Amino acid sequence: MFLVLSPFIVLAVGALLLMLAEAFTGSERSLSVVGSIVLFATSACGLAVWLLGTDNVDLSVLAPWIILDRFSLFFNALLPFGAALVCLLSGGYLEEHRLQRGEFYQLIFFTTLGTMFLSAAGDGLTLLLGLETMSIGAYALTAFRRTSTRSVEGGLKYFLLGSFSAALLLFGLALLYGVTGHTDLAGLRDGLAHGGALSDPRVIFALLLVLSGLAFKVSAFPFHMWAPDAYEGAPTPATSLMASTVKAGGFAMAIRVLVTAFGDPASTSWASGWPPVVAWLAVLTITIGNLIAGRQDSVKRMLAYSSVVHAGYMLVGLAAFGAAKSAAIASILFYLVTYTVSTIGALGVLILAGSHGKEAVSYEDLAGIGKRHPALGLAFSFFLLSLAGIPPTAGFFGKWYLVKAILEGGMPLLGVITVLNSVLSAYYYLRVLVFMYMKEPAPGAPKAVPMRSGEVNAALVIAAVCVALLGLRPGATIDASEEAAKTLVQ
Amino acid sequence: MIETLLRIFPQGDFSLIAVILGMPLLGAIVNGVFGARIGKPGVRFMALAAIGISFFACVLSFLALDKVVGAGGGEHAELVHGKLAWTAWEWMSATTFGGASIPIQFRFSIDALSGIMMLVVTGVGFLIHLYATSYMEKDPGFARFFAYLNLFVFSMLVLILGDNLPVLFVGWEGVGLCSYLLIGFWFEAEKNAAAGKKAFIANRIGDFGLILAMALLVYYTGSLDWDGIQQHAGELITKTNAQGKLDTVSIWPVGGGSYGLVFGWINLSFLNKTLAITGATAVGLCLLLGCTGKSAQLPLYVWLPDAMAGPTPVSALIHAATMVTAGVYLVCRLSFVFAMSPFVMACVGGIGALTALLAATIALVQNDIKKVLAYSTVSQLGFMFIGVGAGAFTAGFFHVLTHAFFKACLFLGAGSVIHAMHARIHDDDASQDMRNMGGLKKYLPYTYWTFFVSTLAIAGMPLLSGFFSKDEILYRAYINKTVSPQMDRALKSFGVWEQPDWFGPVLYTVGVIAATMTAFYMFRCFLLTFHGDFRGWTIGRPSQISNPHHDDGGHGHHHEDLTTPGRAPHESPWQMTVPLLVLATFAALVGYLNPGLLGHKIHFLGNALDHWLHPVFRDTIEGAGRMVALRAEHLVHGAKVPAEISHEALEHVEHMEPILMLGGISAFAIGVGIAYWMYVKEKGAPAKALAAKFPGVHRFLLNKWYVDELYDEVVLSSVDALADTAAAADRTIVDGILARLTALIASFTGTIFRAFQTGVVHTYSAIMVVGLAALGVFFFRPHAEATVRKLGADYQLTAAPGMGYKYRWDLDGKGFDEKQLLSSTDIQHKVTLEEGKTKTVRLEVENAFGRRGIREFVLTRAESTKTIEVGKNAQ
Repeated sequence: MFLVLSPFIVLAVGALLLMLAEAFTGSERSLSVVGSIVLFATSACGLAVWLLGTDNVDLSVLAPWIILDRFSLFFNALLPFGAALVCLLSGGYLEEHRLQRGEFYQLIFFTTLGTMFLSAAGDGLTLLLGLETMSIGAYALTAFRRTSTRSVEGGLKYFLLGSFSAALLLFGLALLYGVTGHTDLAGLRDGLAHGGALSDPRVIFALLLVLSGLAFKVSAFPFHMWAPDAYEGAPTPATSLMASTVKAGGFAMAIRVLVTAFGDPASTSWASGWPPVVAWLAVLTITIGNLIAGRQDSVKRMLAYSSVVHAGYMLVGLAAFGAAKSAAIASILFYLVTYTVSTIGALGVLILAGSHGKEAVSYEDLAGIGKRHPALGLAFSFFLLSLAGIPPTAGFFGKWYLVKAILEGGMPLLGVITVLNSVLSAYYYLRVLVFMYMKEPAPGAPKAVPMRSGEVNAALVIAAVCVALLGLRPGATIDASEEAAKTLVQ
Repeated sequence: MIETLLRIFPQGDFSLIAVILGMPLLGAIVNGVFGARIGKPGVRFMALAAIGISFFACVLSFLALDKVVGAGGGEHAELVHGKLAWTAWEWMSATTFGGASIPIQFRFSIDALSGIMMLVVTGVGFLIHLYATSYMEKDPGFARFFAYLNLFVFSMLVLILGDNLPVLFVGWEGVGLCSYLLIGFWFEAEKNAAAGKKAFIANRIGDFGLILAMALLVYYTGSLDWDGIQQHAGELITKTNAQGKLDTVSIWPVGGGSYGLVFGWINLSFLNKTLAITGATAVGLCLLLGCTGKSAQLPLYVWLPDAMAGPTPVSALIHAATMVTAGVYLVCRLSFVFAMSPFVMACVGGIGALTALLAATIALVQNDIKKVLAYSTVSQLGFMFIGVGAGAFTAGFFHVLTHAFFKACLFLGAGSVIHAMHARIHDDDASQDMRNMGGLKKYLPYTYWTFFVSTLAIAGMPLLSGFFSKDEILYRAYINKTVSPQMDRALKSFGVWEQPDWFGPVLYTVGVIAATMTAFYMFRCFLLTFHGDFRGWTIGRPSQISNPHHDDGGHGHHHEDLTTPGRAPHESPWQMTVPLLVLATFAALVGYLNPGLLGHKIHFLGNALDHWLHPVFRDTIEGAGRMVALRAEHLVHGAKVPAEISHEALEHVEHMEPILMLGGISAFAIGVGIAYWMYVKEKGAPAKALAAKFPGVHRFLLNKWYVDELYDEVVLSSVDALADTAAAADRTIVDGILARLTALIASFTGTIFRAFQTGVVHTYSAIMVVGLAALGVFFFRPHAEATVRKLGADYQLTAAPGMGYKYRWDLDGKGFDEKQLLSSTDIQHKVTLEEGKTKTVRLEVENAFGRRGIREFVLTRAESTKTIEVGKNAQ
């Protein structure tokens, strides 16, 4: 039992101990390194249980509230890994920008714990619990920079709209409970399958409400409007946490709820079920996200919109679920892995490119930085190429398998839209490269001066190795995503 | 001992390959990253150890392979086609048009063919590395040089050992990249950087062909690894399309359109003639384009002579011994694909012959010693193409092997000469100019003797290696004729191109002429360099003009008095002469691996290489391709294409071998004789006289047939024109109309969206509610959808499922039966339709909200199914 729950236990206990240690010693210096070690250990525990095999451990200890299967183990390994990189980034960032306060790390820990519960939640109530644990941490992280109005404003907006969407989700779950008498997902599935429950209009209202709640968490159009403000206002490490771990947690929740409770042929019908709705949301999210991202002057805001766009790509994969089944889910899971490391890398380089008072925010700030700081420019280019999906990086294979799943699901049009949009997105990613290598800063204009931080460097090296490895040797990760997807879909 | 080795590394999981590949890569990384830190001795040690260990592992692997294919069974035992394979990991998976998944693995294998190639690459590579440690001694980019060189060996090994086309392509691109980096190694000089770019672009054109070939192979054979392609190679000429016709690649009309219009007296109907080629021809031509790029054949050979801007060891390793033979290797590797199409085989042979001749004529008059060798390489590669194009894969590959030794030796010898000259002259161009040399025999004895042996070998001196391989190629080119396997099959409706009977003799004649020129220009080069008197005493410049990259090695650094003789040129150190001696020995003796006729006559010599490679090419020659000496049958019986080759014919062919051999011997004799007469007897006077008498021809050859200028004029200027047109169109149409329109739309939508992105939370939540409502509308509206599938005369209609949906059908088009209730299980129906009839079927659905929707389906069955005639056009 302890073995199966070890990821949760390690993280929760580690977080509490660190909180105590910080309270007693009052020192914040090594928090980021120790914190990242805790998170890496959490990830390693998830991986260890995965490798041990689901046959050798008792998975049903907390069923049906918490479901431990390959799917949640996959996220138990992925989510804390992303958070660990963020933790390392925070170490450098907070110190440089005089924001060094211990709460930041606690918030990261509990947000991550929330996402892990979210990915494993098998009941509406544990789901909400996980969601709120995650969200409250994320709100606070966004508003962490108390002196900055943008930060506080972004946090408040995120909070208000997040409460609104959580209310929608809760209302939807309540309706489902009213119809079927169940709050757990497996019970919901059975309840909906029998006795003509699907012809009850309340079920459809419930699906509608749940869908919009989920769409908010993954920042899909038109529920995405909080994202750019929150992402831009938040301190950059918080942004990278929201763009990676929090978003992945949202996807884990969305996939599990839709696939488990609404996975029947009628609900996944391409004519009238949720896949066409998700497809519309996805196409609009990608296209509009791309259009707006191309018009940004701020690189950070561009990356915020880019994160919206990537959520759109993964929604395309979700839309293919009706036809491609587990292949579609597997492609999303793999995409999440590649996206997590690429986006943390890109935001990490953005952190590294600026120092106190000389932050790198706009394209102009980055002019000529590739020549002044070749290693930094190279790293930034590498992560951006991965985000743009150019081989042989991780991002290429993410898109490759996504498009492959879409085509196998027999949706060539969606595939074409995805590919065209990814070409479109290359515009604003490559624009950064143009500024870094082909422009020089205007005389007298503020120049971004890179900071120095071993922690940030370490995080970037780990992320770059992951991006390169996933580009050269994606096999094992793909196998893992397929296995995780299969346990969910069966 | 070999058994133990095979127990540790089993045949199917031969992970020793990881050492072969890993060591050069390790060397590249260490030298590239830590080069500055470990210093010159460290770099030297690392580079040599990397290649040395890799070579040792290659030798062990080769012995293991020897065991596996059963070569121990004596001269006449049949060898099996075995290989040692190792799968590193699965890279990705591709999907075929049929939906099947093809796993693409990082998989490497050693078989008889790649085994020899890897020995050459690591063996010759090691010698050249050793040579370079001394040659590059004074260069500031010492570590960078060896990092590139090791990376090159790694990429080349990936190319050779890759077990499928994508892995080969990785190596193919890798060697291209290293070649580019090394040609432009001294990139400070504009000329060198430009040469690097030229090589890169010419290779890119070829790579395009390779990528196309991969896509076509996936389509036709459904696989990309060697075994899979070989197994399904027959599909290239037998695959049929939905209409049961041969699935060909349509060349014209482009896009299947119809261009044949008639305007009054202008009749363009001839444009409707269709032209289609078989899959085999298409794949073969695409592969050939790739090979011409990498192996410097017409029309893409132009980069190789310019590539001599790189350091001389690079010229020897990459642009003579290994990389440029990759094209020949690929033809041998995929021989079963090439053999499917007689047309492609003729193209391979024809291109080879033309290149051999053209390059040989240019080499006749060049004055730069490296340029002579460069054109000679292009010409010799042409010979290899003649060989493989004639279906004599063993002969072509044999020439790869012999050429690797004598050409590497010649280049390194030239490097030694340049090294000596440079010490005096301090000028890159002048120190490579043969007019400044002469009489170096006295000063560079080792270089002289090794250069002499290799010159004899390349010129085709009987009993040396070049003679055997060249002779085999010429003989095979004369007697072979590729016959399409389609002849056997019931696909004669598709016109099969047949090689004309005169083709073989023409290849032979061109080959002999080129061989004569080879003998002449090689001896001209040799005599001008080493014989006569030294002409470089008074040619020289003060040291400070010398390029900083290639220092003079500390000799004669003081300002020379240009009127009096300076110090004599001197021999190179042992690191440079030892490789020369080893290579020259091999250049002399390696021919006895396959001495052809001599091997048949003198029993103990045998034809080892023929025997060794037989399993690799057996299927190509005896199986699908039936690439046999069919011309012989024609010569004896006058029969067109016989089913079997008679014993009589084979004997006849064997009797022709000594006669045909005379051509090769006389080519050597004549070429050497003329060179001796011109440059020794008459001290070069006839050459000057000839040049004076035919100044036009001389200039024409000296300027390399003006091919570069032609490309400038035709290709570059048309590309420029195209670019100008495109730019104009871009400005007017794209920028003027499209871009402004899209910009307008984009900024309009952007403005709208930005108007909503007010930062006011009410707006945001209002938009969320609107989005929620829009989703609600979708669910609220009924969606009557159904899929129609045709099953013979029946149409099967299946209603798309929906949450809480109920269905009702009107199957005869007369309207719904109002009494019939909607049912949630009434999903599927079958409708039978007679030919030529049309029927309307309606589906009504009711969703959970009680809303109903109706949809009509019009089913029409055609009169009778006719096959559409492809290529015929009614006017």
